[in-house]
Amino acid sequence: MLNITGQGTAHTCDGISRRDFLQVGTLGAAGVSLAELEQARAEGKTDPGSDRKSVIMIFNLGAPSQFETFDPKPEAPAEIRGPFKPIPVTGGGFQISEILPRHAQHGDKFSVVRSCHHTAAAVHDTGHQMMQTGRLFTGGVNTPHAGCVAGFLQGRRTDLPSHVVLPESMGSTGGNLPHGQDAGFLGKAHDPFVLMADPSKKNFRVPDLLPPKSIGEARLDRRRRLRQIVDSTVKDFEASENAKLLDSSFQAAFRIITSEKARAAFDLSKEPKKVRDRYGMSRFGQCCLMARRLVEAGVRCVTVNTFLTVFNEITWDIHGTKPFTSIEGMRDIVAPMYDQAYSALLEDLTERGLLEDTLICNLSEFGRTPRVNPAGGRDHWPQCWSVYFAGGGVQGGRVIGKSDPIGAYPAEQPVVPGNVVATIFKSLGYDLEQELPGPSGRPFPLVDQGTEAINELF
Amino acid sequence: MPLDHRFAPRLAMLLLLAAPVVSIDATAADKAKPAADTLVVLPGEFTLSGPVSFQRLLPGLMHDGRFAGTPPGKLAWSSSNPKVVTITDGTARPAGDGQATITVRHGKLTAQARVTVADFAQPVTWDFRIHVQSVLTKSGCNSGACHGALAGKNGFKLSLRGYDPVSDVRTITRQNRGRRVIPNDPGRSLLLTKPTGAVPHKGGLRFEEGTLEYRVISEWIAAGHPAPADDGPRIRRLEILPADAVLKPGTNQQMVVRAHFSDGHSEDVTRWAKFTSNNTTVADIDDVGHVAVTGHGETAIVAWYLSNNVVASLSVPYANAVADEVFNKAPRSNFIDGLVLEKLKGLRLPPSPRAGDAEFLRRATLDTLGVLPTSEEARAFLGDTAPDRRSRLIEKLLARPEYVDFWTYKWSDLLLVNSSKLKPPAMKSYSKWIRDHVSANTPWDKFARDLVTARGTTHANGAANFFVLHRDPADMAETVSMAFLGMSIQCAKCHDHPLEKWTNDEFYGMANLFSRVRFKTAPEGGDGNQSIFTTTSGELIQPRTGKPQLPKPLDGTTIPLDAPGDRRNHLAGWLVAPENPYFTRAIVNRVWANYLGTGIVEKVDDLRLTNPPSNEKLLGRLSEFLVKNRFDLKALIRLVMNSQTYQRSSRITAGNEADLRFYARYYPRRLKAEVLLDAISAATGQPTVFKGYPAGTRSLQLPDSNIASRFLSTFGRPERVITCECERSDEPSMVQVLHIVNGDTLNNKLQSKTNRIEAWLKADMPDYRIVESIYLCSLSRYPTNREMSATLKIFAETPADQRRALIEDVFWSVISCKEFLFNH
Repeated sequence: MLNITGQGTAHTCDGISRRDFLQVGTLGAAGVSLAELEQARAEGKTDPGSDRKSVIMIFNLGAPSQFETFDPKPEAPAEIRGPFKPIPVTGGGFQISEILPRHAQHGDKFSVVRSCHHTAAAVHDTGHQMMQTGRLFTGGVNTPHAGCVAGFLQGRRTDLPSHVVLPESMGSTGGNLPHGQDAGFLGKAHDPFVLMADPSKKNFRVPDLLPPKSIGEARLDRRRRLRQIVDSTVKDFEASENAKLLDSSFQAAFRIITSEKARAAFDLSKEPKKVRDRYGMSRFGQCCLMARRLVEAGVRCVTVNTFLTVFNEITWDIHGTKPFTSIEGMRDIVAPMYDQAYSALLEDLTERGLLEDTLICNLSEFGRTPRVNPAGGRDHWPQCWSVYFAGGGVQGGRVIGKSDPIGAYPAEQPVVPGNVVATIFKSLGYDLEQELPGPSGRPFPLVDQGTEAINELF
Repeated sequence: MPLDHRFAPRLAMLLLLAAPVVSIDATAADKAKPAADTLVVLPGEFTLSGPVSFQRLLPGLMHDGRFAGTPPGKLAWSSSNPKVVTITDGTARPAGDGQATITVRHGKLTAQARVTVADFAQPVTWDFRIHVQSVLTKSGCNSGACHGALAGKNGFKLSLRGYDPVSDVRTITRQNRGRRVIPNDPGRSLLLTKPTGAVPHKGGLRFEEGTLEYRVISEWIAAGHPAPADDGPRIRRLEILPADAVLKPGTNQQMVVRAHFSDGHSEDVTRWAKFTSNNTTVADIDDVGHVAVTGHGETAIVAWYLSNNVVASLSVPYANAVADEVFNKAPRSNFIDGLVLEKLKGLRLPPSPRAGDAEFLRRATLDTLGVLPTSEEARAFLGDTAPDRRSRLIEKLLARPEYVDFWTYKWSDLLLVNSSKLKPPAMKSYSKWIRDHVSANTPWDKFARDLVTARGTTHANGAANFFVLHRDPADMAETVSMAFLGMSIQCAKCHDHPLEKWTNDEFYGMANLFSRVRFKTAPEGGDGNQSIFTTTSGELIQPRTGKPQLPKPLDGTTIPLDAPGDRRNHLAGWLVAPENPYFTRAIVNRVWANYLGTGIVEKVDDLRLTNPPSNEKLLGRLSEFLVKNRFDLKALIRLVMNSQTYQRSSRITAGNEADLRFYARYYPRRLKAEVLLDAISAATGQPTVFKGYPAGTRSLQLPDSNIASRFLSTFGRPERVITCECERSDEPSMVQVLHIVNGDTLNNKLQSKTNRIEAWLKADMPDYRIVESIYLCSLSRYPTNREMSATLKIFAETPADQRRALIEDVFWSVISCKEFLFNH
């Protein structure tokens, strides 16, 4: 078994045996070999102190308007500035929209990047790909989600998987393209564990995490014993890597099924009602709470999708027409729920001393059109929008980059999705110049050559 | 590399007399030992053209006819005429025109190389196309990360890896107000001050003053920075030495690359070549072509120079003491076995013994039909003692209707039959087209031809949907290449393919074959019915030249732009011609990989010169076989299945643990998503219900991948979005395991009141019969005595009211074990 960080701080990872790595890495062509990886380690290119670091990626599927959130334009004409007023944040010299009052109380903890943009098609799916993986998928190359890269590079830290997606994977957002929410070319073994349930529901439980009611502990144990009777006859084909991976997956599954601690991380009933209420009894609120529990229990990356689709749901996608959301829907439903949950997460992590090692990045696939449309909404606008970061070494109270007076284009320090993902890697302590074993084993750079993190955040 | 290594200038064509390449001192051969090593020197014969030319020589021992590494210890070099050629540290340099012999002596062994020196008195000239581009490429100036990027770097853009010298020379000499080159003071040229760090350079120091790199560039600038002449020498062929070697772990081997040019001269270009090893766990290679052998197995060493690739094969036998007898006496059914055993013998990998009948039955049925043998089939086959029972089983399997389901599904994956992109009637018509051809066992060449030339409405001719899915000519060209040649040509869309021979022009030549395909809504049918036809005009513009590229299928022949008829017919003719090696090899490899789990070329969608097969002779012979059998896939399958290679056990035999490429044993692999779901349904007797499809429909009978199934997506069913077998994943994951352990698919089938357990209980079957039946319908074998007694012991301990639960648990334990989840 391979411990890639090599410093004894990470658990050995069943998902990444030496052979697995080589198999992924040398599909017939020049790949990144284990030797190279070990050399990188020897040269200090992986940071041994990094194994306390985690990331919570809050993905604002639907894409909030920058004007109604983190880049208000009070000086602009009415059709651009929109209906809401700006308010100052505490502890930071900038303003945000009045619909996020609880955010405003924590201006010292988070910093805003106001010059994010991309140049791909203005459909949700492309932005999802780029913001979660750092790249647009081309030529059948599906690049991995940053959280899957973390799992690939460092393996699992505890009995829990290294990357968990809450509450579900992104569903259809109209473009029929992949969303960049899995391990892509790193292989299914590194896919995230997806919760597939709504933790705010009364009868919430993680699907498949526990055996059906009819199968109690005694039967589960009997099944394991019976399974050993059969399995011991085919030990001989253990040399198959997938057979080993299956074994290790069984171990991982049984580990989580039988690990009180791992199961408990998913059990929100262990939280006092006061804490649950503080996050809000919304799906997003309870996902944020669970994200905190998972990070606390050793998960490296938790991705929280604020919404799962843009259709027939009140979301950030404020076109103003059915089946999408209106600007009022954003003010009355989305923003309060979001504001409450995020501020609770920020406070909770701070109180527990976890914020220093936990990056929270709030991302979205694009921004909204500078001009309010005739339906009173705003449409897709990848030319400029805002994202924000807290914790994990990020200094609060800053504004990085600047949009032009009508929030249409970056005016200073334009930032692309690659920079955002590089920022995540930087916070996790990764050397941006290392390579992953790409499709067909060709070495694939962690980030495109020369792509830098948004260093001003740190 | 020493700094005084020199470079050969352009020279006139030289004709050489045929001469013996290597002469071996006969007295050195020890007659007592039959396989005594002999000494060679590579290259055995060469010409040094011009005063700065040189050639590095490689001495080597020959063992069993193969290059076996540099001899240990001292070597003595000598020249027969130092006035013609000198030899220092194994490098030959010219001293005057004429012919001479270089001799290397190692103990009692000697070897000789014949040298011709010509044009020694000619002045040195550096050619942009050959020499300057070599420097820029090896120094990384025109790499994708630097000035070779699509947008260039800092306003200076070169073609990626120098594929376009004409525009590069223009960029260098004409742009930036000529500051890049200053002929009357070359040292002040940006082309030299930047890479040497004399002025700030974001790309850092690339080479230093006083190096050969510096000399080439500065002398070329001083000579007036001449553009490459249209009739100047072009690279014709690249040669790597040794091309084939058997080495030992822990040893080193220098590689030498020679480039042969159109004017007849050749040069030692090792210094300028870029090297990679395909399998660095076997051997690695550094920038100067020095190989370090690190492990056992085989690897290809790829050398790249001036857009050409050449491959050497390095073989490192495993450290197994296996008698030749083991290989010589291993059973053989057909030519496959001889060729596989030959490879195994070379690598000292002992073959595993023949698989048992139960294993073979299960394996053959799963690989051919995608279904489990029933318990009746298992009982019957295990009771059959006729010596030809396996070949009879193969014939039966090939005639079964599930064969059509299985292979239709496989080609539907490849051709992306999917209702998320096609309306249901079109999707069904596409699926039916494939099914009809599989059912008729249509020769693969006809299948391909009919597809790439499809016309008519998508409802009437399912194949026409191929063009609906791939609407632009570039996409069509890429997809045809992936599907039928197993080869990605996508790189060549923007620049010459760095890993293959395909050029940017060839990509557009290929794509332009599709530029006249047109779509219109069909008058009848509605619901997305489209008509595919071709027009007599329309061109795809090659963006680099701004002109249409003459239609040409990759390395086929061009046709004029005004050639009459459907250009796709020209493509199809080239595509399926027996002389087109890629087409036959690709399908042979796909079929082989279906049965053996690992392609002779891995991955099956990555056929290219620089990714050589693990057994070239085998792939070659199988391809010949398929052509001879007129692309009859069933004939190929029959041949593969009857081979001893396919029928080997998946169990390890001491010494072949490490084998993953050479077929010393059968490689177990997880059942693919659909097969696994069908197997669980069949074993439990509880079919899966798919919305909108009749009861009893198996997953492999679904025409469409766009059918929601948590089980199938969890277990890696491809979405059919990308033409690549890599879209499917057979890797186990924890989510899959959680689903098996706790999920509702298997548990519900076990708990169902209409399943097989219920029938057994109604029939009042005794415990041992039930255990036996579970094993037979799941694993196609009887339980071992140990399994039976251990299981019956638990039955005996269990109260009667829990008997059904226990049966479910036994069933669960069998289905959740590797032996069930894997084909082995």
